[in-house]
Amino acid sequence: MTDTSMTMHPVLSARNVSLGFDGTTVLAGVDLTLHPQEFVAVVGASGVGKSTLLRALAGLLAPQSGRVDIPAAITPDTRAWSMVFQAPRLFPWRRVRGNVELGLEGLSLSKAERRRRALEPLALVGLDEFAERWPHTLSGGQQQRVGIARALAVQPRVLFMDEPFSALDAITRRRLQQELVELRRRTEAAIVFITHDIEEAVLLADRVMVLGNGEMDQPARVVETLEVDMPLDDRRDHPEFAPLVQRVETIIGNH
Amino acid sequence: MMIGMTRAQRTLYSVLGLTGFLLFWELSLRSGLLPGSLVPLPSSIPGVLWLELLDGIWFDVVRSSLSHYSVGVLLGSTLGIAVGISAALLPRFNAAHAWLARLLRPIPPLAWIPFAIIWFGINPSAAAFIISIGVFWINYFASYSAVHSIDPGYDEVARAFGQQRFLARLTKVSLPAAAPGILSGLRAGLGQGWMTVVAAELFGIPGIGQRMMEASSLLATDIVVVYMLTIAALYATFDFLFMVVQRRLLRWQS
Repeated sequence: MTDTSMTMHPVLSARNVSLGFDGTTVLAGVDLTLHPQEFVAVVGASGVGKSTLLRALAGLLAPQSGRVDIPAAITPDTRAWSMVFQAPRLFPWRRVRGNVELGLEGLSLSKAERRRRALEPLALVGLDEFAERWPHTLSGGQQQRVGIARALAVQPRVLFMDEPFSALDAITRRRLQQELVELRRRTEAAIVFITHDIEEAVLLADRVMVLGNGEMDQPARVVETLEVDMPLDDRRDHPEFAPLVQRVETIIGNH
Repeated sequence: MMIGMTRAQRTLYSVLGLTGFLLFWELSLRSGLLPGSLVPLPSSIPGVLWLELLDGIWFDVVRSSLSHYSVGVLLGSTLGIAVGISAALLPRFNAAHAWLARLLRPIPPLAWIPFAIIWFGINPSAAAFIISIGVFWINYFASYSAVHSIDPGYDEVARAFGQQRFLARLTKVSLPAAAPGILSGLRAGLGQGWMTVVAAELFGIPGIGQRMMEASSLLATDIVVVYMLTIAALYATFDFLFMVVQRRLLRWQS
């Protein structure tokens, strides 16, 4: 997070957001403010409501109470937010470029501009040569990269990432984590990153928000938010890395 | 692929099977095992076909049948797909027509012949109507289940990327995602159309069916067989052409 970003208007502000189904509240009282280029990782045990929270922040699910504000896109050829899903969820009936163009359709862009805007993020994730391929000819890691390119193409102010690397093998995962570190430097977007992998959260984020269950029958809530005060490069080797991971693990274990 | 057989071997066995059948048929008649008045000699069929072609009768009846068939299939497929997709996407419409569909579905297309005659008279429209009914139901159910079983994840992706409007989601998600199922329905409908076309013409509408009825009343079984084979050939041609189109449209599938 840069000092200038703090003086900017937030790109996402959630106030006292509660979520639930059929009258039962599963997650309560979530507050979150995000500025440009900030990266917040949300961790917590399985089933605590991380993905549900992400969808509520994006407006794909209506919260039970509270409110979420994401200011409109700055220009008519961009979108306010976009999302990378756990499974790449590429449309198999569209070629790679067609998939990346999805979010650009309906924006003020000519066909040629749309094409160019799709190829840029594909080059960023190293797949511009695969633009005319069908998704099924790509590996899982490549498909997820296309999913990331699709989300970046709309130049979002907020990028939501829902456990984007969890379905990948360890090597690909590690490579994509490193690519995301690089990507952070090149995008203005603020990122909300859901993961159940605590190391991944500490590796990538500026802040780690821990969700946990309260007392019996109480809805989950944010039990702690930790600042990650380490340079992005080679975090794994930083002396504070392992203790912070350990601390988050303890917090999750206690809730 | 059949295990242990090459492509050439498979073709050889297929040719042998078909030739054996024709030979058995021919010899059964020539030896008097089968009565010649009831079953034609297979060797007489090409000559009879040639005569039908020379007289122009073959072209006339095939053209007539093709015109009912095309109208019926086009109408039945369009309506079937439209209603099937609407039922899958619009819960209120689905609930409103569900019982009606359950009531009408079991009625076979040929049971509509009396109404077809009353409403349209004995003319090509009546045949097209009957053909369209059978084709409608096949396409209706195929499209309904194809759209109904689309992974809801695709819809979420569309919404996450600004495609909120119904029409955008229909054209960008529902139709392409359901295309394999819809195209299977269309293909089955093409077959069903040929099954109904002959039956629909049996009550006097000009076409292959009527020609077959005429021939059978004169015990001209060779002519009947000529048109049975004509239907088989037309169906195979349509099915092949459709498969080519289907393969092209679904080339994205793994």
